[in-house]
Amino acid sequence: MRLLRNLARRKLRTALTIAGITIGIWALVVFSSMANKINSLVEGGSQYFENKILVTDASGGGFAALPVEAEEVGRIAGLDGVAAAVPQVSFFADEEFSGGFGQPDQVEGSVAGADGGRETFVLRPVQGRLLTPEDEGADVAVFGSDVARERGAVVGQPFDVRGRRFQVVGILEPTLTAPDATIYLPLRAAQEMFYEQVPPIVRDNTTPDGLVSQVVIYPTPGTDIAALADRIEATVENSATLTGEEFDDLIGSSVAIFNAIIIGVALISLVVGGLSVINTMAMSVAERTREIGIKRAIGGSRRRIIRELMVEAGVIGFIGGLLGLALGAIVVFLANEAGRTSGTVLFDLTPGTALFAVGFSTVLGVLAGVLPAWNAARLDPVAALRYE
Amino acid sequence: MALLEARNLRKIYRLSKRNVVEALRGVDVRVEEGEMVAIMGPSGSGKSTLMHILGLLHAPDRDGGPEPELVVEGRDTTRLSDSERTRIRATRMGFVFQSFNLVPTLSAEENVALAADYAGMQGSRGRAVARESLELVGLGDRGGHRPSELSGGEQQRVAIARALVNRPTLVFADEPTGNLDSARAGEVLALLRRFNRERGQTFLLVTHDAEVGAVCDRIIRMRDGRIVDGEPALGVA
Repeated sequence: MRLLRNLARRKLRTALTIAGITIGIWALVVFSSMANKINSLVEGGSQYFENKILVTDASGGGFAALPVEAEEVGRIAGLDGVAAAVPQVSFFADEEFSGGFGQPDQVEGSVAGADGGRETFVLRPVQGRLLTPEDEGADVAVFGSDVARERGAVVGQPFDVRGRRFQVVGILEPTLTAPDATIYLPLRAAQEMFYEQVPPIVRDNTTPDGLVSQVVIYPTPGTDIAALADRIEATVENSATLTGEEFDDLIGSSVAIFNAIIIGVALISLVVGGLSVINTMAMSVAERTREIGIKRAIGGSRRRIIRELMVEAGVIGFIGGLLGLALGAIVVFLANEAGRTSGTVLFDLTPGTALFAVGFSTVLGVLAGVLPAWNAARLDPVAALRYE
Repeated sequence: MALLEARNLRKIYRLSKRNVVEALRGVDVRVEEGEMVAIMGPSGSGKSTLMHILGLLHAPDRDGGPEPELVVEGRDTTRLSDSERTRIRATRMGFVFQSFNLVPTLSAEENVALAADYAGMQGSRGRAVARESLELVGLGDRGGHRPSELSGGEQQRVAIARALVNRPTLVFADEPTGNLDSARAGEVLALLRRFNRERGQTFLLVTHDAEVGAVCDRIIRMRDGRIVDGEPALGVA
């Protein structure tokens, strides 16, 4: 109570200091939430690619620009060290790319269960069911959590994907990563749709069931994955492979840059916030020189004076942290709500981030209070009492 | 045994290289328990410095002469650390200042309770003794007021309540009536005299007001950093 009165006595300066910390912590909360989202996407990808090899066509430059011919799947499956080779078809869910900042929604087709239970990244339905091998030939679909919400897919209802009508049979649990934005179809249906999208020159030389966009390889346990990837590239003309390790390297560097930005924001907010707390507390000590002299004279120990001022500085940091967190949470919430309609959920404000932000600013305040408090405690009580 | 016994007190303030003030040039003082003593002298005579040293707010100089001694209640204090001297101030001493020196953000009761807290009486016990102390100075009903809402005389009575809340053996008062008109000054002085008589507390008053000196048992007169006269005051009742 007394402490709040002390803060209230210097309303404007305290308010400005708290505002400075609030802005710093706000930036920290927003950027960290963005980092959380991106890190969970990357982690999901990394988990997905662990212990498997993705084979795509290399002539188009990496990610599934041109199809792989289905007959290659058999040749890959015959290689030493390959436990299962699962052909997949994937393409964007919309004919025109909407141009959002997040991931565009994907359609993925494969034969359910073709991995023989080797997939470690397990998807679970929150409503309805997953696809089964018996769905091949039927027009049924399972929706990821985000894409289901954005597009209003309901289990048991029909839903049009690129002009083709599917029966929605399941909606997946959120994974915070790629599957949330994916519509899963049986392989046959996806192949037929994919066939319509490939360039006419490819179409003329093949049939829908001859087309896949990538092959997922599950190596037998103990296989040297990098060596197997090399063997696949040697066997299949114009193929490119992506192993889990390569994925981590590829994405890891950009994530590292992003994390560096977060640390940068945190450091700036630390310096700015810390300096303004030091300034406020130094001014406060100067203003209260006489009061500190009184307290020392009537028996207040140096330790008491230091504690009092450091707690006060900590409260400034704590209030600034809470306000920054509140402001950040509002921004994150509004941005995510606005983003949901366009499929761009960018932020993930975790309890850990929230606790860290408030804890960080409180500790920052306390530390910034150390120097002014120390100076205050060393004041000569007699000189401080004469101070006007 | 003397409550307070000091020998060879010297203090030089080096304000800058050229400006050296020799505030005390070797002072011996002895104060008996239950005495009410006035320290008088013109400004610059060293009376405030003497009070600061006796009140353990400053330490006497050790160099430039014979070893100083300052024994308070039988305990030599010249080699104590700052926190030990602070502890003695908190538990054994009380201070009253010319300009009242109450903490402006705290109510009268909180000001008194703060001193109780420093003396080791926290929380509700501290508040209880603070209220009791305010009643003793006749301000039992003013505890909730801030210093700015009180008159000068009332503020000084709050300061006296604060100085007495830890039941000190020794109370220092630096020009306690200096900022008060003569009627209020008389009230404050009567209050100090009453506590001295009724509770046997020892008072040391720094003043240049002869009326204050006249109320005391004894006057220590100072000039140029030395004691010039330690005779009992005239007109003691």
